[in-house]
Amino acid sequence: MGIARRSVMRGGAFGGIAAIYIALVGLYTEFAELELVGEQITLGRVMLVAPALVAAYAVTRPRVVAGERRPVGFGAGVAGGALTGLVTGGVFAAAVWFAEWFGVDRIREVFIQVSEPLIAFLTFDQGVPAGLPILIGISILGGAVGGLARTAPAVARAPLAVGTIAVIAMAMLQRIIPIVFVELGFKADWLYSPVTRGLTWLGAALIFAVAAAANVLWHRSGEQTRERVRSTVQEAPAAKLGLLVAILAILAIMPLLLGTVISEVLGQVMIYVLLGIGLNIVVGYAGLLDLGYVAFFAFGAYTLGLFTGAFLNTTAGAAEPALSADLNFYVAIWIVALLAAGLGLLIGAPVLRLRGDYLAIVTLGLGEIVSIITASKWAQPLIGGPQGMRGVTKAEFAGLNFQDNPQHFYYLVLAFVLLALFISWRLAGSRIGRAWNAMREDEQVAEAMGVSTIRFKLLAFAMGGAIGSLGGALFAVSLGSLTPTSFELVVSITALAVVILGGLGSLPGVVVGALVLIGLPGLLREFEAYRLLVYGGALVAIMILRPQGLIPNVRRSRELHEEEVEQDAWAAGTTGDREAVAAVLPGGGLGVGREDIE
Amino acid sequence: MSQNGTRLLELGNVAKHFGGLYALSGLDLHVDEGEIVSVIGPNGAGKSTMFNVVTGLYPPDDGDVRFRGESIVGLAPNRITKLGLARTFQTVHLFPNMTVLENAMVGQHCRGRSGVFGSVIRLPSTRREEEQIRARAKTALEFFGKRLAGYRQDQPAFALSYANRRRLEMARALATDPVLIMLDEPTAGMNPRETLELRDHIVRMRDELGLTVLVIEHDMRVVKGVSDRVIALDYGRKIAEGTYDDVANDPQVIEAYLGTKAVG
Repeated sequence: MGIARRSVMRGGAFGGIAAIYIALVGLYTEFAELELVGEQITLGRVMLVAPALVAAYAVTRPRVVAGERRPVGFGAGVAGGALTGLVTGGVFAAAVWFAEWFGVDRIREVFIQVSEPLIAFLTFDQGVPAGLPILIGISILGGAVGGLARTAPAVARAPLAVGTIAVIAMAMLQRIIPIVFVELGFKADWLYSPVTRGLTWLGAALIFAVAAAANVLWHRSGEQTRERVRSTVQEAPAAKLGLLVAILAILAIMPLLLGTVISEVLGQVMIYVLLGIGLNIVVGYAGLLDLGYVAFFAFGAYTLGLFTGAFLNTTAGAAEPALSADLNFYVAIWIVALLAAGLGLLIGAPVLRLRGDYLAIVTLGLGEIVSIITASKWAQPLIGGPQGMRGVTKAEFAGLNFQDNPQHFYYLVLAFVLLALFISWRLAGSRIGRAWNAMREDEQVAEAMGVSTIRFKLLAFAMGGAIGSLGGALFAVSLGSLTPTSFELVVSITALAVVILGGLGSLPGVVVGALVLIGLPGLLREFEAYRLLVYGGALVAIMILRPQGLIPNVRRSRELHEEEVEQDAWAAGTTGDREAVAAVLPGGGLGVGREDIE
Repeated sequence: MSQNGTRLLELGNVAKHFGGLYALSGLDLHVDEGEIVSVIGPNGAGKSTMFNVVTGLYPPDDGDVRFRGESIVGLAPNRITKLGLARTFQTVHLFPNMTVLENAMVGQHCRGRSGVFGSVIRLPSTRREEEQIRARAKTALEFFGKRLAGYRQDQPAFALSYANRRRLEMARALATDPVLIMLDEPTAGMNPRETLELRDHIVRMRDELGLTVLVIEHDMRVVKGVSDRVIALDYGRKIAEGTYDDVANDPQVIEAYLGTKAVG
């Protein structure tokens, strides 16, 4: 089965446009020096190959013709991939050639990232006519690899893919893993080069071999063994408990191994885990799209400041807030949470009758109101206006300083994260969680079946608000001073992105979402400027490829795939028939006994 | 006509209009305890609107709805359900992604009382209540015998066959522990065998569960088989009431269905 020329042209052109875009926003120059393996493979060069590779991978996907799935053959896949890479490389090279002809300086007036070093990077320091064939050649290679990755026999494909992903992941973690090695007293020069900080060739080869071999062994071990391992891990109480203890132990020693810089990043991740858990109750459980979640974050931060004796920044120095108290942090935080629950009711009440888009817009407005108030002259006597406040409590406890020591702060926020996780998990599995579920699926019917939707909506807003305010309060402790720039729309968007990326309604998803969206940019400081670009890209990709999120909640993923499952069951000939349904349901088999099939 | 006497549900002069359209006007009807009452009428006669007004989804524009002597006008639907008035919908409205058992457990929701604190701590009382909710939901599902039993209870509701979805909707209504159950065209879309089976179920709801039943039905065999009393609606008014034979032979009813004056 060959691939239509049209789809090669289209896929290749998309790849070329993507490459041009990456060049224009400056990602290539930013990452040209970030070595992953040896001195040759930098993140910039990986990104140079990526557009062709991804385009080729997409172009060589199996087609459905007349209801029949037709995979692309091996040879055709590699050839089609290489052709796609040729088109991508051609488009990109043409753009580089155009830039050189038109004048790099003239383009820079609009696209400030276009520069001579960029051109040098793209042409491998060979200058424009001479370097372009290399660029095209690399694209062809990338395209061929993309086609290979799709169409190679599974025996070869899986270990190669796993090995490659492991190498890239380990290389990207070059700011963490060497630190751990040093803390543990190992010498890691053979794995991570002290010169480039990336992996050495030897280290990369070893990682690749180990990951690929593990993959091969796993697949050789047979279906039964795999199933046994899976069910033990998922079902045996001892294994579950062991897993929980192991996770807690890792969480507990992490900051000690990782040092202060990374602990600070982890602290920020944990704050967003808290926000994610809270927002997940509102959006994931109750199905109320709240775009103004920053309101609770700001409320928690400022009220904690006021309750713990912070003072306002003024031009003259410092001033007492119009209202303040000097409570211990461990008293104040519960009052803050309680008041935030009240704010949740206050925000929830006017929007009770709204649904979907309307609810989203109104909450967006309410969130904006709160962030504008934090910056306003009007609220200046209370919370300091644009100058903000400082001197928020350090929450000292048993000699630990939670403000100036990121490792200590990590433990404080971890304690609150665990508490919030526990509360959220218990609620989800209770009568209350069931009511939220029913309400999300069909509000009117839930009401008619005896669920007080008013009450449970308000409860969701209150619980979500309280947990969100904890995130804000801890944020205030970590910084010690507050300014309105920390409380803008982007907080709401980030929290929502965390929840959606991880999977709506899924608690492990929230943790993973925060690690990916907050942790990765925090670790690779170069990404900082591209944070929003990464969020946008990640969300678009997740919505297209995996709308249920990275670690989906089973039920939410059913909601998104409902039609498919229903249709598949129908196509199998017998909707409602056990085998047919079992065959298409996520999770497969549904128990025993077939005497009661009609 | 009624055997047991006490008034359970009473509609007095109820009116409901949507813009200029009078879906209900001056409707009086009543249901006594232990009765099975069928409501018939051509499409658009106001039968489902009547259900929606009674269960609180639409507020009536005029008149009064009394349940066990108390007016329930203005109460939120969930309050009305809690008073013991459960319903099903004309088009199936389940919670498709919750399991069959969970669907029924939502029905029991209004009989529970555990709150945030109890749920988080899992107090003994909360656990007992959860067990009770589960057991009661299972009992409601078992009303339909093997149809909703066994492995099916852990399937998502959307995986059920059409007839089973209808049954689950009824089971969910039964799980609310109602006094009066209101069924909106329960046999719509069912095949003749399933229809016959359902006819027995309706009778069993009264005889075994002691419920009063108000049912909107188009299938005249079902109406004839189950009804103590039949009420015919047209243009939002009651046009006939009585035994099946009385109503079926009423000239106004025949006119409503056939559109011409009955001869002689």
